Amino acid sequence: MTSTPLPRARPNGWYGMLILVATESAIFGTLLATYAYLRFRDPSWPPPGVAPPSVTAPLVLALVPVAASVPMGIASRTARLRRAGPLVAPIVLATLVQIAYLAFQVHLFSDDLARFSPRDSAYGSIYFTVLAVHHAHVAAGILLDCWLIARVRTGLTEYRRTAVMAIALYWYFVSLAGLAVTATILSPAW
Amino acid sequence: MAVESAAPAAAQRIDRLDRIWAGRPGLTGWLTTTDHKRIGLLYLWTSLAFFAAGGAEALVMRTQLAEPRQHVVGPATYDQIMTMHGVTMIFLFVIPLSIGAFGNYLVPLMIGARDMAFPRMNALSYWLFLGSGLLMYTSLLLGMAPDAGWFDYVPLASRRFSPGLGIDFYALGLILNGISSTAAAANFLVTIAKLRAPGMSLNRMPLFCFAILATSFSLVFALPALTTDLVFLELDRKLGFRFFDVAHGGDPLLWQHLFWIFGHPEVYIIVLPAFGIATSIIPTFTRRTMTAFPLVAVAELLVAFIGFGVWVHHMFATGLPAVTMVFFAAASLIIVIPSGIQIFAWCMTMVTGRPEYKTPLLFIVGFIVFFVFGGLSGITLAAVPFDQQVTDTYYVVAHFHYVIWGAAVFPLLGGLYYWFPKVTGRMYHERIGQTTFWLVFAGTNLTFFPMHISGLLGMPRRVWTYPGGLGWNVENLVSTIGAFLLTAGLVALFANLIVSAYRGAPAGADPFRGGTLEWATTSPPPRYNFAVIPYVTSAYPCWDVDDRADDRRRLEAGELVLEENHETPATTPVDGRLDEILHMPSESPWPFALGVVATLGTALVLSDHFLIAAAGVALAAAVLTLWHAKEPAPA
Repeated sequence: MTSTPLPRARPNGWYGMLILVATESAIFGTLLATYAYLRFRDPSWPPPGVAPPSVTAPLVLALVPVAASVPMGIASRTARLRRAGPLVAPIVLATLVQIAYLAFQVHLFSDDLARFSPRDSAYGSIYFTVLAVHHAHVAAGILLDCWLIARVRTGLTEYRRTAVMAIALYWYFVSLAGLAVTATILSPAW
Repeated sequence: MAVESAAPAAAQRIDRLDRIWAGRPGLTGWLTTTDHKRIGLLYLWTSLAFFAAGGAEALVMRTQLAEPRQHVVGPATYDQIMTMHGVTMIFLFVIPLSIGAFGNYLVPLMIGARDMAFPRMNALSYWLFLGSGLLMYTSLLLGMAPDAGWFDYVPLASRRFSPGLGIDFYALGLILNGISSTAAAANFLVTIAKLRAPGMSLNRMPLFCFAILATSFSLVFALPALTTDLVFLELDRKLGFRFFDVAHGGDPLLWQHLFWIFGHPEVYIIVLPAFGIATSIIPTFTRRTMTAFPLVAVAELLVAFIGFGVWVHHMFATGLPAVTMVFFAAASLIIVIPSGIQIFAWCMTMVTGRPEYKTPLLFIVGFIVFFVFGGLSGITLAAVPFDQQVTDTYYVVAHFHYVIWGAAVFPLLGGLYYWFPKVTGRMYHERIGQTTFWLVFAGTNLTFFPMHISGLLGMPRRVWTYPGGLGWNVENLVSTIGAFLLTAGLVALFANLIVSAYRGAPAGADPFRGGTLEWATTSPPPRYNFAVIPYVTSAYPCWDVDDRADDRRRLEAGELVLEENHETPATTPVDGRLDEILHMPSESPWPFALGVVATLGTALVLSDHFLIAAAGVALAAAVLTLWHAKEPAPA
């Protein structure tokens, strides 16, 4: 691994992930734009009978994936420079934090579902859709992490190097998208 | 790189490449292929089959409308056929043909690569596209095809007014189709960024590749709007969500906004590859480089970019505020500038070159005529008061058929002739080719020009019949006659190509003396495209005689032949400097398997039993895991 010189450009798989992230940001952009569109057409937002979202828990939670991106970034740097350095441990750490985060979010989600339904109003429809899409992204990321841990446990190959860099990029995106989603769904509480 | 005259050392290297790159034989070879040329051919045949279906639907509609009060088909069937015609021509014919077939076959050849960046994902794109097409056509065979028009407006498309499964077939089929197109676009972007031959800096990249680059960018950013819209629709229809329900705070115009945020870039997604084909054919048949090469490249990118800011011109009749409409009318007019740059560049290249009007160039001339004409009627539609007068009339149908059929498909037909010798190794029949051009050209005008008049006289679109005495009878009859003439021309065109594929004269590597790299290899190209990776020093590398002579020397010397492994070089994204040698994936059964499972999983969502659908998703995830179970051998 260490004998060949580092290429100047990043690997194809990283570029592929960059484009996936680009198209996914367009999906989140569309979702959040829809939220804004529906909101500004409806004078009562959220509709009567639905309390505005609570602020503290989602706001604190949104920072968790951002924090978990730090160990992913460390692992990615180790892989990119093909150096001996922390690799498996930071990925495991990030994954554990992400799993705890998702569990808490699912709990909040089902709490919300008990309070109001996506079938009652356009507010409920877009609120639950935006959150569900983001949680699905976190779940997919956790699956990728598990696959990654199973692979890099036995050492780094060129293929795994690309995977670490690409999956780290995915997590940066998911944590930024989480901030945008949180800011949007909390906006009626401001 | 004539294999026949190769020196012994070179011949040995070519032997080794043949062995390393050999695919599996027979049907298994096609089902497991990752060869961009084979995948391109699969796209070609499939999209042409859907073209035949869409064409047959058009003929049924024209026969029904030939005279007033006919009853060839009933109104319900007419609505289904009309919807399927639109969906087929856009999602199953033009895009798969231009990007899937032409893009796949040509981009790696033009940039001097041995395959696409992600060969297996490339195969997956094709199988998902085939699955989406089969899924949508299953609905027609079952008599429950979508019937709300290709843009599927709510509330007509809501469960209340369209209770059957037709709209669900449409929504799910297009989601699958969108995934396929996104994967294809990502593949093109990375291929173009990373796999260009050494020396091919961005300013030396063929304009066709710029067009595919612009198209891919548009796909990556436009398709999510459609996908999200379709998901909203299915959530409303299947689970009772309220996105489009006015009574509960939703808004039907949301559907239209999101649809056209995708739908207008889509027009340029359709037209840009055609521009790229025009900029390939014109230099070859005028014996000169493209005029204003960098401006044309920038104009291609600009068209794609501005295309994102004009969607409201499809919604001028929906009662939006005047200030919104004026803004979008102005934005729509700005697109004239990059389009004009390209038209003037094509014309000036022909005026200052020595044009030889062979069949491919004739189709490009026809394309320019249609593009100017369709562009002019487009300018009239960008004027809000005029648009409000003719909205939902045949004038609009006439306009977009001039643009989509005349401007987008004519270059594709020209391209079929132009690259036919490269793909088959044989020449088409020139005189029959020219005759078919005139038939198709006349048929197109005869079919679509009268629609301007019937539209201005007030004939609404999407009607299954009309009473006599409204003054539209002659126009409709002429359109129908034109449609059959057009069909006759197309039958002759394809007959020429099919017969020539077996009986045509041998073409040799470069029958037209083209300037781009696909002409530097044999016809048809070997599995590995180039026996030696070419070095590039200009935008028309095939006209650099010394460089190509040097290829033969380098093949004998073994410089950048890469005969030890399944490899292709990667270069830096901007300067095209040699960066590393990549080990490329080979044949695999998994893309096909995932395509089948994903299509079945999507079809299961139709059942309303979400546990069954979830099982489909789980199965797809399992296939994806198996796909990646075996790690590729380190290079």
